Amino acid sequence: MLMLMRIAYPLLFVALLSVGLPVRAEPLAVIIATANPLNSLSADALKLIYQRKSQMDAEGNRWIPLNLPLPDPLRRGFSLAVFSMLPEEQEDYWNVQYFNGITPPKVMASEEAIVRFVASTTGSIGYVRKQKVDNRVKVLLFITPPTEK
Amino acid sequence: MRVFLFLLMTALSMASIVAGAADDADSSYRLGNGYPVSDTGFRIGGYATAQVGAPHAAPKHFEISDLSLFLTWDNGSRLRFFSELEVGDALSASEQQSLGIQDAHFEFERGYFDALVNNNLTVRVGKFLTPVGQWNVIHAAPLVWTSSRPVVTENLFSTHVSGLMLHGSVSLAERQLEYSVYGDASDSIDPHRSKEPFENAIGAHLRYFLDDTLQLGVSFSHFALNEPLPVRYYLSGVDVAWVYRKFELNSEIVYRASDHAFSENNWQGFVQGVLPVPMSQHWFAVGRYEFFEQTLAQTGQVGLLGLAYRPLPPLIWKLEYQMGTHNELLAPDGVSASFAVLF
Repeated sequence: MLMLMRIAYPLLFVALLSVGLPVRAEPLAVIIATANPLNSLSADALKLIYQRKSQMDAEGNRWIPLNLPLPDPLRRGFSLAVFSMLPEEQEDYWNVQYFNGITPPKVMASEEAIVRFVASTTGSIGYVRKQKVDNRVKVLLFITPPTEK
Repeated sequence: MRVFLFLLMTALSMASIVAGAADDADSSYRLGNGYPVSDTGFRIGGYATAQVGAPHAAPKHFEISDLSLFLTWDNGSRLRFFSELEVGDALSASEQQSLGIQDAHFEFERGYFDALVNNNLTVRVGKFLTPVGQWNVIHAAPLVWTSSRPVVTENLFSTHVSGLMLHGSVSLAERQLEYSVYGDASDSIDPHRSKEPFENAIGAHLRYFLDDTLQLGVSFSHFALNEPLPVRYYLSGVDVAWVYRKFELNSEIVYRASDHAFSENNWQGFVQGVLPVPMSQHWFAVGRYEFFEQTLAQTGQVGLLGLAYRPLPPLIWKLEYQMGTHNELLAPDGVSASFAVLF
């Protein structure tokens, strides 16, 4: 019995610890087309682009920010990292913008769709997991999403 | 062989269309976002409001008070277009009048082109909402918490400008400063004049984002209204908005002066708070106090208590009661309820 407790208690402790501690989320790479001369971007500038308050890049091209669908965990992580709120908590903001003729970022079906669109469309910007990045696009910055509560 | 090639080309083009559609998850309709018309850059949407009012000193009434249609065009170039056409009081009834379209009227609410000059400057030409305070530029029923509108947000100036506006944002002390500078020539260019339009005007609004939750704005305007007396007015105002999670506090104060001997100078303002009802995701309590100096009457004061149910952000049900003093003309005592949807 004592032996069993010696094994069970540490296992229980580790199990509780793993439930209680947040799992570190994967970093997201913010990408643009390889041909774009921009090489870096601040987190504040990224936020303004995704709020559609910053509309043009330094070359004079319209920014086309891309999102993943609303329930996608990467979209939720991106939203928490950049805006400190979940996508559904931004709906009030987008309703007001819509009343003024401004629409939210374009939604793409998958990370591969984002990479394809970014590679072929001037001014577009998106986010994917690091391992999805290839030579069609380049990384402007990495962001680490906090764990969703 | 030609038929085969034709079929192959057709199949390939169909496949590419399907592949494109599979990439783009944006083409479906979502409430509160409008309907995108394929890849044309056009988007159609709008909002509607139905309202019931039971003022103490007037007949009870019902209206489909707003039926607005938005048409947006933005194909990713430096030019974009927005318009809003509205049927006001499309359907109405009261204790003295049966249900019908007798009060229906058409309004050309907004229609403008925005030309993006650079990241900090956009030039707007057309008819748009006057940037005085915050309420007027987001006044649509689905976006505000009460069926009634604070007097200060529409009483001392024209709610629309027809002319030119330079607007944009710049970074100041690592925070965003949004600006709007406008010139109005309604008298010359607006074929469908608003209620109490400007004859002409110049003005500006600045909004500074102190942090993600707090915005501070100031407004200035120098204008003449389209009225028999040739009076020029000077208007200045401040507005504050604090939004934290589901709590909100808003206030606007405006002072209007004129150099005409027969025109009075007026202060008007309001402060409004919104609290989420405990244990509820979708219910909100609203409280508001407003005051308004008025020509030919004593200063009016009104208190409002309301409840709002918002099952989804584009849908809202509202119920409110307001009462005050010297408010018979601009914000009468009584109960009102409404439903609004942004579509």
